[in-house]
Amino acid sequence: MRNWILVFALTLAAAIPAAAQPINLDFPGLADRAEEVVDITLDASLLRVAAKFLSGKDADERAVRDMIHGLRGIYVRSYEFAREGEYDRALVDRVKTQLGASWKPLVTVRSKKKENVNIYANMRGEDIIGLVIISAEPREFTVINIDGPVDIERLSSLEGQFGIPNLSKEGSDD
Amino acid sequence: MTAIVPEAIDFPAPLTRAQAGDHDAFAEIIEQHEDMVYSLAYHFFGDRSRSEELAQDVFLQLYRNLGTIESDSHLLFWLRQVTTRRCIDLARRSRLKAVPLEDVELRAVEKHADPLLDRRLKQLVEELPEVQKAVVTLRYQEDLDPSEICRIVGMPVNTVKSHLHRALQSLRRKLEKHS
Amino acid sequence: MNLDNDLKRALRRESPAPGFAGRVLERIERAEETRRKPAWWRAAAASVTLAALLGGYATHKVAEHRRGERAKEQVLAAMRIAGEKVRIAQDEVRAIGSHD
Repeated sequence: MRNWILVFALTLAAAIPAAAQPINLDFPGLADRAEEVVDITLDASLLRVAAKFLSGKDADERAVRDMIHGLRGIYVRSYEFAREGEYDRALVDRVKTQLGASWKPLVTVRSKKKENVNIYANMRGEDIIGLVIISAEPREFTVINIDGPVDIERLSSLEGQFGIPNLSKEGSDD
Repeated sequence: MTAIVPEAIDFPAPLTRAQAGDHDAFAEIIEQHEDMVYSLAYHFFGDRSRSEELAQDVFLQLYRNLGTIESDSHLLFWLRQVTTRRCIDLARRSRLKAVPLEDVELRAVEKHADPLLDRRLKQLVEELPEVQKAVVTLRYQEDLDPSEICRIVGMPVNTVKSHLHRALQSLRRKLEKHS
Repeated sequence: MNLDNDLKRALRRESPAPGFAGRVLERIERAEETRRKPAWWRAAAASVTLAALLGGYATHKVAEHRRGERAKEQVLAAMRIAGEKVRIAQDEVRAIGSHD
């Protein structure tokens, strides 16, 4: 009987998607050293609230409203530093090691001069049910975790829209 | 021995009940056909939210036109036709931008197996011109012959064959170019 | 490569999000409701809602509004950052592809 319970528990554990386990995005001390910090934590209830405030008349806002429908959370940590070498590159591995077997690498870009970008997708069959983006460049470290079904095609088309102040390097160098 | 039950095949209970105003019966009809309608739209636009909206619109239109549906096979034909034509109309009106991540995913396709190849193929289908896209989706999702497709899209069968041929040529060329 | 088989697999039917039929029926209900209710009923309902809003409810609404606006700004910022990173990756891969 005990064996059956164990088997059942293991089966259940395997059936729970990795997305159910939140990814730890705490990087103690990093915010203190950074010049600019973006820290966004939106759980399912806040996303529902936000959806009500996204206009259905504005095409861009409607696109975002559609995208966040069904998401369980969005978490962003972005740190920008005054100088190079202010953060430990091992932080990238610390995030990667938290990703379970259902997470597949979609893209790995390595560049000496620009950013290193890693994109991982949490796959259920052929559906993406979560996304982790890790971007590491000499003076910036960004991790984004989107928990829930993501349409990455639409995500990439959102960049540079909505009239939000641009957080890109050009702006920060000023 | 072959049992022939013409009435059960031609006029199944849910349709009759739905026509009499039974919402549960209409729900049964939706559940029976939702995958087909939704998938036609999804393979056309590659966008779940837009496909959901379009599929809902189709069933709403069906609800308002239930009285004109003559049989179960007519219902299936009607749904395929209305969905396909709505997809083509919507795409022509908005000239949707297909695209973004295809190159990025192509890299992944080379390393990984089927799910990403499927995704790549879906994207290539989405990039086809509207009519070719409709013809390919009806051919491969719904497993229809050109003679059946021509009734749905309202074109001569040879035109359908020609669209299908050009679409497949284009898909092959793009796949080979990237392989 | 067998394109026919690959296409059949890639274009196989998929399901909408669970509860699709329910959502369609809700829309039908709403449409029917609007048709059934006389105009005076809608006017009366609007008056009651307005009165509630003008009362003590207003304060709660203001706080909720602020919370909503902030959540909206955060969502837009998060999506823009995520989109920017995906686009960077895409551009890099394209650049590599163009050298092949």
